[in-house]
Amino acid sequence: MTCQISLDRINKYYGAYHALRDVSLQIDQGQFVALVGPSGCGKSTLLRTIAGLEGITDGTITIAGEDVTHLAPRARDLAMVFQSYALYPHMTVRRNLTYSMRLKRRTRAEIDHAVTEITRITGLEGLLERYPRELSGGQRQRVAMGRAIIRDPKAFLFDEPLSNLDAALRVHMRAEIRKLHNRLGATSVYVTHDQIEAMTMADHVVVLRAGRVEQQGAPLDLYDRPVNRFVAGFIGSPAMNFIPATVTPDGGHVSLELPGQPVLRFGGRRPAGEAVMVGLRPEHLQTGPSPDAANRLTLPVAMIERTGAQSYVVCDTVPEVMVSAPVRVEDTDEIVLGIDPAQLHLFAPDEAGLRLDI
Amino acid sequence: MLKFTNTFRDGIGFDTVLVVMALGYLVVFSAYPLAYNLLMSFQSVDLFTLTSFDRPFVGLDNYREVLSRPETAMIFWNTVKFVGLSVLAQLCVGFALALFFQLDFPAATWLRGLFLAGWIMPALVVGAVWSWVLAGDFGVLNHMLRQIGVIRENIFWLSDPDVALYSVIIANIWLGVPFNMILLSVGLAGIPKDVYEAASMDGAGRVQQFFTITLPMMRAQLGAVISLGVIFTLQQFDLFAALTQGGPSNASNVFQYWSWQLAFQNYEIGLGSVVSVLMIGFVIAVAFIYVRSTRYEQES
Ligand SMILES: Nc1ncnc2c1ncn2[C@@H]1O[C@H](COP(=O)(O)OP(=O)(O)OP(=O)(O)O)[C@@H](O)[C@H]1O
Ligand SMILES: [Mg+2]
Repeated sequence: MTCQISLDRINKYYGAYHALRDVSLQIDQGQFVALVGPSGCGKSTLLRTIAGLEGITDGTITIAGEDVTHLAPRARDLAMVFQSYALYPHMTVRRNLTYSMRLKRRTRAEIDHAVTEITRITGLEGLLERYPRELSGGQRQRVAMGRAIIRDPKAFLFDEPLSNLDAALRVHMRAEIRKLHNRLGATSVYVTHDQIEAMTMADHVVVLRAGRVEQQGAPLDLYDRPVNRFVAGFIGSPAMNFIPATVTPDGGHVSLELPGQPVLRFGGRRPAGEAVMVGLRPEHLQTGPSPDAANRLTLPVAMIERTGAQSYVVCDTVPEVMVSAPVRVEDTDEIVLGIDPAQLHLFAPDEAGLRLDI
Repeated sequence: MLKFTNTFRDGIGFDTVLVVMALGYLVVFSAYPLAYNLLMSFQSVDLFTLTSFDRPFVGLDNYREVLSRPETAMIFWNTVKFVGLSVLAQLCVGFALALFFQLDFPAATWLRGLFLAGWIMPALVVGAVWSWVLAGDFGVLNHMLRQIGVIRENIFWLSDPDVALYSVIIANIWLGVPFNMILLSVGLAGIPKDVYEAASMDGAGRVQQFFTITLPMMRAQLGAVISLGVIFTLQQFDLFAALTQGGPSNASNVFQYWSWQLAFQNYEIGLGSVVSVLMIGFVIAVAFIYVRSTRYEQES
């Protein structure tokens, strides 16, 4: 696999505000990369620096082996799908799609051929002579996609393209974009604040916080081995539970700061007496009939929410512990939870919250 | 009493009062003078019959008289030149300035404020200022041109028949630029930034963006600015009064000033009315185009 987009220690300032800090990223040919992070973390800024719409203060951007750091957007041969779609309001769908080809003075036959192809791929048949204002949100989204695809660019950049769609359409388009990606085999960089979208669509997920890359890797690696508490809490839904605890004198258990000081085994060793933060994913707290007898928690129940397939149990503790069970949980005052030691994460209790090896 | 106020306010009474007030205003101050003017253009009017309706009708005599005057053709072409050149130059300069102030540079807001100076000053004052600038013997413009060596002899901007009209046009362009700039700035600000960004990703350079995005998206504003510009230019009276009084020998005379001269200097009131009736017809046509262009804007 050849590297298609490479970012080397990118820094970006807006005045005194340090928006991107030492961002380095390698994106392979054909890869689908998701940039995720909370609002304001610099996802759009990073995408726009790749596009060339924002200049950078320091660092190098290479696309297909060529240093493009100082090139204008139009010289980079990338296509972007904007959150607002940014369709040309005064042009019909057909003219929106063919704008780039008309600028390049391609022949009539080439243009018509491309339009036929793109309308088939995006399902825009019958809408070609409409104006953007005459389209639904989903249809506009397709035009924006079509306008990018028709270019056959070196890479696609998406800035939260689905955030203006309703939930059902979002799930549908999610699958469609991924299918399209597989079919075109093009490199894609996809910005989203929705970690589910990132996890389900991407081959490679980059988690950003305050302009810095916190962790990047395959989606399930991020889920299984988050490098710090921030990533652990951001990836996964509902979010991971964090419970302060102390390592017991034998070095193989933790004593949780919950009522009754329950003790759990974590299948490894840490220095005795060390203060830690235990991370437990809601879906890893087992409510089944025979939970692991050795590792058990019994917690008071505050509330149970049932969605049909899943039950969410909120425990009456401080900090609040959330349980996500794939079964229907009956009303009860107390719940018994089994924990697999391999699914227990330990983090440093300080601000950085780095993962502790066990 | 309370019941009456309520029915008045909630019922049809209040609406009727509002409509009657608006209509009354229009009838008294717009429709009546227009109709009166139209009537006078078919009558023989002199100072003594000005206030009575009972005047001899002369059919189209006034029209024939105006059209057969030797100066009519010249004044007509002057008006065409005055309106055409003024509107064209105001539009170009105003558009260029609007584009310039779109760029984000320090003091942009301040500088734009300065350009409004012409707009907030009464046209008569502007005329006085320009008459100093353009004065033949002590004028600022002649002085500057001499200093940089463009001319040797003073040009008599206001009394040379070859240049008098153009002097008024220059002053009028200066007067109209701020209006054009503001209206076009608003239009430019209404074009979303991401549309330009999409165009630049699609491969359009600055010039291509201007012709494929900016111009077509400004169609409605351009239509409005041009039609309003034509109407305002046809109303421009003060500058002629302050600068050339239409002279020398009608070299810089235009219909709107001539109409006033005929009616109130020569007391050929019927003839003055004819000229203004002709102008009203033209303005109505332009206003029609303006309404059409704003209607397009509302649809999109
Ligand atoms: N033009 C600008 N001038 C100054 N600061 C800016 C500018 N654009 C963005 N920022 C700041 O940079 C940070 C990153 O912004 P960015 O738009 O990349 O966030 P984001 O991760 O895309 O957030 P969201 O999910 O809300 O879209 C924000 O704190 C924002 O306030
Ligand atoms: Mg964003």
